Amino acid sequence: MPRRGDEDDDDLEPEEEEYQAYDEDEEEEEEEEDRGVSSRKRRRSEFIDDVAEEDDEEEDEDDDDDYGGGGGGGGGRRPRPKRRSGSEFFDLEAQVDTDDEEEEEDGEDDFIVDGGAELPDEDDGRRIQRRPLLSREDEQEDVEALERRIQARYARSSHTEYDEETTDVEQQAHLPSVRDPKLWMVKCAIGREREAVICLMQKYIDKGTELQITSAVALDHLKNYIYIEAYKEAHVKEACKGLRNIFSQKVMLVPIKEMTDVLSVESKAIDLSRDTWVRMKIGTYKGDLAKVVDVDNVRQRVTVKLIPRIDLQALANKMEGREVVKKKAFVPPPRFMNIDEARELNIRVERRRDPMTGDYFENISGMLFKDGFLYKTVSIKSISSQNIKPTFDELEKFRKPGENGDGDMASLSTLFANRKKGHFMKGDAVIVIKGDLKNLKGWVEKVEEENVHIRPEMKGLPKTLAVNEKELCKYFEPGNHVKVVSGTQEGATGMVVKVEQHVLIILSDTTKEHIRVFADDVVESSEVTSGVTRIGDYELHDLVLLDNMSFGVIIRVESEAFQVLKGVPDRPEVALVKLREIKCKIEKKINVQDRHKNTVSVKDIVRIIEGPCKGKQGPVEHIHRGVLFIYDRHHLEHAGFICAKAHCCIIVGGSRTGGNRNGDSYSRFPSLRTPPRIPESPRRFSRGGPPLDSGGRHRGGRGHDGLVGTTVKVRQGPYKGYRGRVVEIKGGSVRVELESQMKVVTVDRNFISDNVVVSTPYRDAPRYGMGSETPMHPSRTPLHPYMTPMRDPGATPIHDGMRTPMRDRAWNPYTPMSPPRDNWEDGNPASWGTSPQYQAGSPPLRAYEAPTPGSGWANTPGGNYSEAGTPRDSSAYANAPSPYLPSTPGGQPLTPNSASYLPGTPGGQPMTPGTGGLDAMSPVIGGDNEVFLMPDILVSVRRSGEESVVGIVREVLVDGSCRVVLGSSGNGETVTALADEMVVVAPRKNDKIKIMAGLLRGSTGKLIGVDGSDGIVKVDDTLDVKILDLVSLAKLAQP
Amino acid sequence: MGSAAAQIPTSFGHELRACLRCRLVKTYDQFRESGCENCPFFKMDEDNERVVDCTTPNFTGIISVMEPSRSWAARWLRIGKFVPGCYTLAVSEALPEDLQNLCEDEHVQYAPPKRV
Repeated sequence: MPRRGDEDDDDLEPEEEEYQAYDEDEEEEEEEEDRGVSSRKRRRSEFIDDVAEEDDEEEDEDDDDDYGGGGGGGGGRRPRPKRRSGSEFFDLEAQVDTDDEEEEEDGEDDFIVDGGAELPDEDDGRRIQRRPLLSREDEQEDVEALERRIQARYARSSHTEYDEETTDVEQQAHLPSVRDPKLWMVKCAIGREREAVICLMQKYIDKGTELQITSAVALDHLKNYIYIEAYKEAHVKEACKGLRNIFSQKVMLVPIKEMTDVLSVESKAIDLSRDTWVRMKIGTYKGDLAKVVDVDNVRQRVTVKLIPRIDLQALANKMEGREVVKKKAFVPPPRFMNIDEARELNIRVERRRDPMTGDYFENISGMLFKDGFLYKTVSIKSISSQNIKPTFDELEKFRKPGENGDGDMASLSTLFANRKKGHFMKGDAVIVIKGDLKNLKGWVEKVEEENVHIRPEMKGLPKTLAVNEKELCKYFEPGNHVKVVSGTQEGATGMVVKVEQHVLIILSDTTKEHIRVFADDVVESSEVTSGVTRIGDYELHDLVLLDNMSFGVIIRVESEAFQVLKGVPDRPEVALVKLREIKCKIEKKINVQDRHKNTVSVKDIVRIIEGPCKGKQGPVEHIHRGVLFIYDRHHLEHAGFICAKAHCCIIVGGSRTGGNRNGDSYSRFPSLRTPPRIPESPRRFSRGGPPLDSGGRHRGGRGHDGLVGTTVKVRQGPYKGYRGRVVEIKGGSVRVELESQMKVVTVDRNFISDNVVVSTPYRDAPRYGMGSETPMHPSRTPLHPYMTPMRDPGATPIHDGMRTPMRDRAWNPYTPMSPPRDNWEDGNPASWGTSPQYQAGSPPLRAYEAPTPGSGWANTPGGNYSEAGTPRDSSAYANAPSPYLPSTPGGQPLTPNSASYLPGTPGGQPMTPGTGGLDAMSPVIGGDNEVFLMPDILVSVRRSGEESVVGIVREVLVDGSCRVVLGSSGNGETVTALADEMVVVAPRKNDKIKIMAGLLRGSTGKLIGVDGSDGIVKVDDTLDVKILDLVSLAKLAQP
Repeated sequence: MGSAAAQIPTSFGHELRACLRCRLVKTYDQFRESGCENCPFFKMDEDNERVVDCTTPNFTGIISVMEPSRSWAARWLRIGKFVPGCYTLAVSEALPEDLQNLCEDEHVQYAPPKRV
């Protein structure tokens, strides 16, 4: 009898009683029918509609004794239930409460319109009938009845659970329908909202049914209005008559859709409870952290405890009636109240016992103090309680003087409440901080919604224990290497040297200082990093001027300090410098002379020939006061930086004496500088070593492309005024990628001007239009200025691998050009002039270069990198003036292919004239077809000795390697994979793809078809259908 | 019609408390003297300490329910089966565990307040 539970009780339901008489008539009729008809079992299994029938059954079993009386109405049966014990009654009644609710829902649901009125009635009838049955049980020992009773109870309990579990769904069934009373918004006296609705209630009680409203609502957050629920507006007005707090002249109907919003207050209720951390919003304590001691939601006041900011002297003066000079804008620092001190100042301190809590407070002129804290009662509105994250220091201070960390655990609860989802991960070492299991250590096995299953350390305990995550804290031991993942020290790594409860003391890897953090903010990690690369205006690898006029390069950024390699040649001196100790960044572009009087500019490769670092070589990153900062990747200390005097170095490949001219001067006079340009470039080439001559020539050839990659401004034509980057140069026109429009347009070469101010102050002045000019390296991304370790053409294959692919990507926003290069070029011109042999080489070069300006180095003929393995490409490569390559460090990831073939073109610079010609003349400029990895694409990562794993590129690092999250859905661990360890996952038909090359690079789309080596792609943004080389497409990771 | 209404709060702000189970709002004294009309099993009138445990001064909004069975608002708030009276829209605390167990023993449904 599953329904049984539902059916009893509801004496309290007025409506039901109303219908009762009618009900029973109905039942009688049904009973009669039933008797002749069906078996009991069948009926039981049926649903609500059967309710009446079930009643019949009961009556049947009652030997129909009651039948006659049943028709008489409820009145006659009523007394019987009273025989039952009180507890039973309550049981049933309460049970039914919920069930009835359901029934009502059903009834009022639009689907079962008729049922609405009837069901409750039936309930009543049933109740009445069953009671007699129960009362007779004892006498008759009716086993069947007993069984049924048990069944009923069973059904009831299961029903209850169900009810609780599905409240959300059920709530849907409660949505207001047109048949429900409506809500009316009525104005009332401000501040009297509660009073008004309570008065209405009182009035209803006094007047009874005359008042035809069903409810009245006062919301705490809505002033000046109350809601009244009634079927008709007239009822509302009638009800409000005579109540002076309610102004019912204007009654507004609440649209049915908004009715639920009116009553949805749960979400708005601020859960301000004891021990919550809050911040004061106003007054002396504005911004101060406070802890809630008591909340009075009715009065909207809250008592908080604060660290007092009280000037005792001023207070003493005031109390003695002396003149108090009010210093404006003086806020006393927070300090625990020292009662003795106050007494010494003759401040009267009363000690009182709070009648409610029994605690003693010191009362000083109305302010209450306890344990040094000020207890202050303020309006709830004057504190903010949302998203309060006390800092470590604040919490430290808030500790009671003399109290150890233990007592503070409770106050961590709010901290824990702020934990991100997924705070605990499988394998984390944790410790229980609350409850019976306090101090039990263990490891996380499984994380559920709120509970964390831990494998306890201690033996003899169950295998896993479920612990509420709020009772858990991460646990570390001294010696663990950790990374701080949140809070002010975020990003720092270090070794745990001490554990004080939930506080860890970590020896920072970088600053070597102790930092204190919450265990909660920390994860175990072997990573060694400072996490940050810049503070304020200063960035890793910047050259900075320090307080004491010394200078140095930032070699590591801590969360609050920099490590600076000072500009002291001969012996490395590293200083730990705070932000305020840095005066400014040194950005001047200076050239110095090396030992052989060659001009050394930033980005030139020099070799140290004297001093402790003798033999090291690398590009010059900074020059200041005759001191060079050289970056040598193989130098493991000081982030690879070496500081050396300029005259202890020689420029690699530069044995000639060079002039001291600064290239800048040229740039301002393009006409003057044009001719020398070509010659100068050769010198750069020459760095590679002996094969300089030819290199020099090619250099020149490359020079054509100088414009490629530069930022230009269109001076005429339809795109006048637009700025953009030159993507390629075709005869007399250039293709410019507009910055503002994300598209590439073709513009007459004469219509552009490239003296656009770009982010780098180093940029050279315009050089466009001069076919023979040396290339310019336009914009750089400020972020990676130093990343181009390998300018040197003679570099090892590895280096080639790293740099090559990028070279073309001048137009690509991801490819930062290093500013220093400009310097370098500027410096170069000087040299060529004095080196006749270069000049000799250059004229022919120029001859043909001029017509194909810019076909240059940036573009490989045919330019498809996917075919990078072909000899043709290699040659293209070789042509490309290698010195430039290094300069495009640009975070542009290489394709694995390119890396692999690059080594085959070692040095790349001893070029044959023929290749040079090819480069210069090659009509095909396909510079935009290279494939480079991009974020969000799927790659398969294969590391030596491991299976290849699918992962998602998260970030492309400067050297071409990528941060890859393993797992096709990106839920695995994050690894850094080298360029040649990754292969793009080829998309299949209908895959979402990302375009990695060409003008659409970066766009996403869908591969709608494959035709040989071409992919037919529907581009997401434009919905255009494009045919693209399959190789340039990568499968996009599904987010 | 209908069953007897619950006591009506005798004040409008101070001292008001709401029953943590049925959300009936009355003053502290009223609860102490006559308990909660919907939740007699709490026996607040017999054990005055219970009043503090079973009721809370922290609640949001008041709704006067004249006809619980007909009122949509009462049904929506799941107080449609309680006696007419003044209720609150939401309480901010949950019933203490032992009292929740009591509800269970009494086969009375208890739904803790929703936290958002």
